[in-house]
Amino acid sequence: CQEDFLEVDPRATQIESNYFKNAAEVFNGLVAAYDPLGWEGDVASGYANFACLVAASDEAYGGGGSSSDVWYLQTMNNFNLLDPANGPQLGFWQRNFTGVSRVNTIISKLEGNISGLDEGTKKRYIAEAKALRAYYYFDLVRLFRNVPLIITPLSTDEIYQVEQAAPEAVYTQIEKDLQEAIAEVNLPNTVPAATEGGRITKGAAQALLGKVYIYEKKWKEAVQQLAEVNGTPGGTSKYGYRLLPNFADIFRPDNQFHSESILEIGHTAIAASNWGNTSKVEGLIASTMFGPRSYNGPLYYSTWGGCPITPELYNALYHDPRFKATIADVDSLVRIGKATYVPGYMNTGHFVQKYAPLQSFKSTGAGAATLNYPQNYIEMRLADTYLMEAEALVEGGGDMARAAALLNAVRARVGLKPVAATLDNIHQERRLELATEGHRWYDLVRTGKAATVLAPMGFEAGKNEILPIPLPELNNTKLVQNPKY
Amino acid sequence: QHLAFSNGAATATRQEKTIAPANSKSIIKVLGELEAIYKVSFNYNSDQLEGKFIKNDLLPNKTSLEQTLKLVLRPFGLKYEKLQNNFYLIYAEKPTSQNLPIERTGLKRAQVAAIDISGKVVDEAGAPLPGVSILVKGTSSGTATDATGNFTLSVPSDDAVLIFSFIGFMSKEIAVNKQTVINVTLVPDAKALEEVVVVGYGVQKKSVVTGAISSVKATELENQQIGRVEQALQGRTSGLTIASSSGAPGAASSVRVRGATSLNDANDPLYVVDGVVVGDGGINYLNPNDIESIEVLKDAASAAIYGARSSAGVILVTTKRGKTGTINVNYNAYYGTQAPARKLDLLDATQYATLINEQSVNGGGKPVYTNPESLGKGTDWQSLIFNNNARIQDHQVNISGGSEKSTFYTSFGYFGQEGIVATDISKFNRYSIRLNSNHKLAKWLSFGQSLGYSRVKSNGGVGGNTDFGGPLSGAIMLDPLTPVIVTDPTELKAVPYATQAVVRDAQGNPYGISKVVQQQVTNPLAYIQTQKGNYDWADNIVGNAYVEAEPLAGLKIRSTLGARLNYWGSENFTPLYYLNANQFSIQTSFARNRRQLFNWNLENTASYSRSIGNHNFTILLGQGAYLDNNSSGLTVTYFNLPVDNFDDASMNYSTAADNINATGSEGIHHTVSSLFSRLTYNLKEKYLFTGIIRRDGSSRFGANNKYGYFPSASLGWVLSQEDFLAGNNQVNFLKLRGSYGITGNDVLGDFRYISTVGGGRNYTFGNDNYLIGYSPDAPANPNLRWEETSQLNFGVDAVLLQDWTLTLDWYKKKTTGILQTVVLPAYVGATGYPYGNVADMENRGVELELGYRKQVGALKLDVRGNVSYLENEVTYLGEDKTFLEDGAKLQNSSYLLTRTALGHAIGSFYGFQTQGIFQNQGEIDAYIAENGNKIQPKAKPGDFRWADLNQDGQITADDRTFIGDPTPNWSYGFTFNTTYKNFDLLAFGQGVGGNQIFQGLRRLDIPTANWQTNALNRWNGEGTSDTYPRLTTKDDNKNFANPSAFYLQSGNYLRIKTLQLGYSLTKETIGKVGLQRLRVYVSSNNLLTFTKYTGFDPEIGGNNMNNYSIDRGIYPQSRSFLLGLNVGF
Repeated sequence: CQEDFLEVDPRATQIESNYFKNAAEVFNGLVAAYDPLGWEGDVASGYANFACLVAASDEAYGGGGSSSDVWYLQTMNNFNLLDPANGPQLGFWQRNFTGVSRVNTIISKLEGNISGLDEGTKKRYIAEAKALRAYYYFDLVRLFRNVPLIITPLSTDEIYQVEQAAPEAVYTQIEKDLQEAIAEVNLPNTVPAATEGGRITKGAAQALLGKVYIYEKKWKEAVQQLAEVNGTPGGTSKYGYRLLPNFADIFRPDNQFHSESILEIGHTAIAASNWGNTSKVEGLIASTMFGPRSYNGPLYYSTWGGCPITPELYNALYHDPRFKATIADVDSLVRIGKATYVPGYMNTGHFVQKYAPLQSFKSTGAGAATLNYPQNYIEMRLADTYLMEAEALVEGGGDMARAAALLNAVRARVGLKPVAATLDNIHQERRLELATEGHRWYDLVRTGKAATVLAPMGFEAGKNEILPIPLPELNNTKLVQNPKY
Repeated sequence: QHLAFSNGAATATRQEKTIAPANSKSIIKVLGELEAIYKVSFNYNSDQLEGKFIKNDLLPNKTSLEQTLKLVLRPFGLKYEKLQNNFYLIYAEKPTSQNLPIERTGLKRAQVAAIDISGKVVDEAGAPLPGVSILVKGTSSGTATDATGNFTLSVPSDDAVLIFSFIGFMSKEIAVNKQTVINVTLVPDAKALEEVVVVGYGVQKKSVVTGAISSVKATELENQQIGRVEQALQGRTSGLTIASSSGAPGAASSVRVRGATSLNDANDPLYVVDGVVVGDGGINYLNPNDIESIEVLKDAASAAIYGARSSAGVILVTTKRGKTGTINVNYNAYYGTQAPARKLDLLDATQYATLINEQSVNGGGKPVYTNPESLGKGTDWQSLIFNNNARIQDHQVNISGGSEKSTFYTSFGYFGQEGIVATDISKFNRYSIRLNSNHKLAKWLSFGQSLGYSRVKSNGGVGGNTDFGGPLSGAIMLDPLTPVIVTDPTELKAVPYATQAVVRDAQGNPYGISKVVQQQVTNPLAYIQTQKGNYDWADNIVGNAYVEAEPLAGLKIRSTLGARLNYWGSENFTPLYYLNANQFSIQTSFARNRRQLFNWNLENTASYSRSIGNHNFTILLGQGAYLDNNSSGLTVTYFNLPVDNFDDASMNYSTAADNINATGSEGIHHTVSSLFSRLTYNLKEKYLFTGIIRRDGSSRFGANNKYGYFPSASLGWVLSQEDFLAGNNQVNFLKLRGSYGITGNDVLGDFRYISTVGGGRNYTFGNDNYLIGYSPDAPANPNLRWEETSQLNFGVDAVLLQDWTLTLDWYKKKTTGILQTVVLPAYVGATGYPYGNVADMENRGVELELGYRKQVGALKLDVRGNVSYLENEVTYLGEDKTFLEDGAKLQNSSYLLTRTALGHAIGSFYGFQTQGIFQNQGEIDAYIAENGNKIQPKAKPGDFRWADLNQDGQITADDRTFIGDPTPNWSYGFTFNTTYKNFDLLAFGQGVGGNQIFQGLRRLDIPTANWQTNALNRWNGEGTSDTYPRLTTKDDNKNFANPSAFYLQSGNYLRIKTLQLGYSLTKETIGKVGLQRLRVYVSSNNLLTFTKYTGFDPEIGGNNMNNYSIDRGIYPQSRSFLLGLNVGF
């Protein structure tokens, strides 16, 4: 009787040893492995999302209410402020390592006997998980270079024994994971957009592998992968990818998983997210960072005023057909008396349009509207892979005609005349086509231009190409801080 | 404890309270017969004799009085002393020499009679006291009062001083001074050593207690304005560190018995009210006026009887019960007003604009305000939210009494307090009812119950001590330039007043919105409007019922069933509002939260007491079963109701389903199953021993460690019982004691010993195909074991020089295997943190309690004081681990503020050392490392010079060190109580010392926030300051972002908590209208606080090591002035 008295009802608390035993439970584990894709950090660890990379590049300033508001943006916009304790690094670190850990867990669980799970589905899950692990590690190795490589669940004894791996070893693992995923026949080429959009497909895995090769400067391998993703320039590829005719449609919150989207991270308002546990926020917080402060007027709603567009980007895009879809010209609205707002720190009057908080999509359900903006973030799209393949072709001495066709397909879509497929032209096209989508800073770093272009922001060569290892990670561990931090 | 002494002569008129069993006589009756036979009078405490019977066949016949008395009294542990004039004193234990009957001192009738004095000695109720010894001071002559309390005595001269003493009463000295008639009233001495102490599952005489137990009696709490039980303990007992977390009405205090015992939540002592473990939810429900006594079990030997939940100490609360006799009715009340004890010195508009300009220029910008002087004083936000006339009132009625069969105590109480900050949203009301009764069903069987009900309603919209909003942070940080309301027509037509749902005052004027200070810092008056009406409530029913049987003399079998039924919740309405660009609400919502809890426990004990010769022992065996956290809750929120304020909000409005949101939860039960035993033994009350062992099983541990064993032993030696001290006039009582024991706690989450899987790791596929993901919560720790606290205690209890009482304790408390969440490196990717036995910690301390009581003529003095010293040190944190990863945070501070590290006190402040301020570029250039490089090359004059502690030539995270300790080493309190004729005066003070406070009142991410006036002393040119750095919008040197001693201030304070003057009307005046007692008083709380701390208040408690002594804008303590009334019928 006494023994029974001390055994209490777990009230829906699941015991791990009893879980992951059937098809539904392992699918839940797979969902958990996808979950960190949508994480954008929080107050405690620093908001970490592509807005930080936009601020880190020459596209935008920090913004916000003051020089010390939106600190994660300020530290990326002024590298003097970035140190192991200050910056968005812990948010990035947590997101990706949580993803790695969940992948490792679900892969190990899938090795067991799962009732009701057929072999094909099991292999598909494993392939998806491996591709996710590659994705997370690719983010880590690009942002931090020196990271621990963990590919099985850590036992309690191993936790404090972990050391950083050579970046090459991490890249090798990323390639291996992606190659294995791509080789898996059960990984589908495409998925039904309405119900499974955003799940890893063969096309997404290949596009990612191509991008990984670009960062490794393995041009030929990159071309090999990206060519399959891209297919005939301007046409529909074997995975169904095709450039959208209208550039602005790419970023419409109601136009999800369209033919140009390759890797898209889902966000939604239906979770009614709220303040508290921001790792559970399912809306796109980046949008909340981008909107003007105390704004009153058409189109947008008032948010935090982060990432005001630099005059350099504004001028570069001013005569480009993509201007309107890229830059929110709030200043013009004010000038014609249609809107008012409170200028924030380093305000320029121009804001990010592609992921702006649009009134028409503002969440009016439960939860804070600022945390429930329902726009997906497109991590990779076809124009990006076109331009990457073009760049790889030029760099690796490949088919120059195809390089030009790829580049000019991107230009033609917005009505621009063809240009020669030079590296400069390709880089410039990437800057304009992909502006404020979070790629510019990585591009500047991998092409070695960062030190020059970002010098006014205090960028120090040999240091700021990567982020510092988050300070708490050095507490009682064997991790070593990145050079010069 | 009220001692109802009666004298033998009065027994004729006294009713027998109990009917004697067949063939038996009550002792009281026997004594009455003896009085008649031998023409003597007996003096005894009827409570001690009540219910004691002797078989008729045991009654001796035809022996001497003395022999008869011995035979009758001895079986009951009673003794007698022959006094003067055929008076006999009968008592339950050896009286102390302080109260020794006069014969013991070799009394003789004074040989030379110069002056004849006569008089009468009575108790407070006016009843005559026979047998009171009267001694002429400095001589051995004296007498004793007769059966009617009268005495006559001859003294040699006018300057003779008479000492009146009587067991159970405070002795009194009266100078003869030409008086020939001296009438004396003696008052009971609650602190006498025959006082009993509640020890858990029983009571023990204080004189034979071997553990370290502090107690507070009802008499010490009378007329003190105590809103919560914790406040009753603050300053009145040694060994406790108590700090309120807020000055808000009804706010809880953190209570630490002998310092923090653990790093986790197991720092709160276990509260046991009338034997019922109250557990979570605290004791807010309890009306402090119902408290008879509070005992704090400080050492492990005392606490071990509560085993697995006692490591942080045990606080036993006993509520009042009725007494046999007449019905007593008391009405006690007070009414008063409160005002903030202190305001912060903040900058006015001109000063603010001046510093903003300077800060902007230093940051490379332009001056913001062209003519600061023209701005005048601006808005004083503090004065707008402070209420200098907040009401406080308390009304208590209690009725008690009983017959020989039943006794009862009933009380009704109302306590209402308005907050001194934003009173509209800061209020506390408590209504309480108590019903305690005891019934004697048979001579051997009794039954009783304690039942308390309370309803608490509180408006807690102010919060406080947060850097995330609320009226206080608004008042502290909002710029003085913003007007209270906006009336300028151009502004009214512009953004945001014309376009947003701005908050308006009663006249419809919009409240001003700051143009420069934003984030969570808002116009406090507007904020108050958005919170109006919101409240929390709680209904509590806590009670127990017991049945006790005594089938054999000395054997008691008792079964107690206790329960706590708790309903609580909140009602909140969020209107549409726009406070600033960050703080706005775009849809209304009305949320109702309801929760309930039903905890119960069952305890069965058997105890057997026996005396064999000089050996006295008691054995206790017990069994207990406890269930708590049996709770569930629901929250329902209705969005977009067609109303705009709390009062109109209703869930009766027909509302579409997608505008209704509901969530629910259930608590995981926590069960504990226990067996315990205690042996108490003493030899002639001279050599004392207590041994305890308890075994607890907890649902929170895995099969490997389900049960914990908690033993303790203690020894005592009453030296004053030894021949060499007997009759000593300097040392009246002296006891040495020592104890060692082990206690534990199981305050950790449920199922921490196995790996669990949690949901909520969700992701969206496709078009809002929102899926629930599951992943492991944290790596499991199957070896999780009980946290153990062992404690060694040595103590001395003494009564010295008749009037002094002293208790001194030394202890060493060691906690091993402290249970806490382990903060894993993020690369592990765990979603939660596991629990581990992470640390060992040691507390060492000394405690002293001193008391002095004396009556000199009409002046009665009672002075008590206590002081405690405490040292805390973390002694182990795991292999190779020197500090824990967690610590206190402050918005935008560059590093954590605190660190718990090996060899240091827990939660020590951790940061940079400053070495003054660079006065000029030369000093910056001269600050070089060994290799010749500049250590702070980017610094500018006016920046802090940071100490390069690791001498690596740069300032990095590694240059931080321990810069202060948030926990006080010293805490002390004193009570000074004096009565002169009808007047009484009470002063009660309390204080702490040895800690620092981190003053984080200004948010670092809001460079435009207002400053305190000490910012006027900032560095603004060579030689202007060496402590307060320059102001700049670009704090590249992190002068303000780095935690450093710049933010630390001494936390020492001494506070006069209560100063009270009372006047009691004489019995002659009020007796005519049937009153027993009528007293009026004026009182002030927190009249004075002596401290160097510059914030609102130096008393900053916290729930854990991450907020203790960190000031983020604490709700200030109030200073109150009260008028009170005590009436007794």
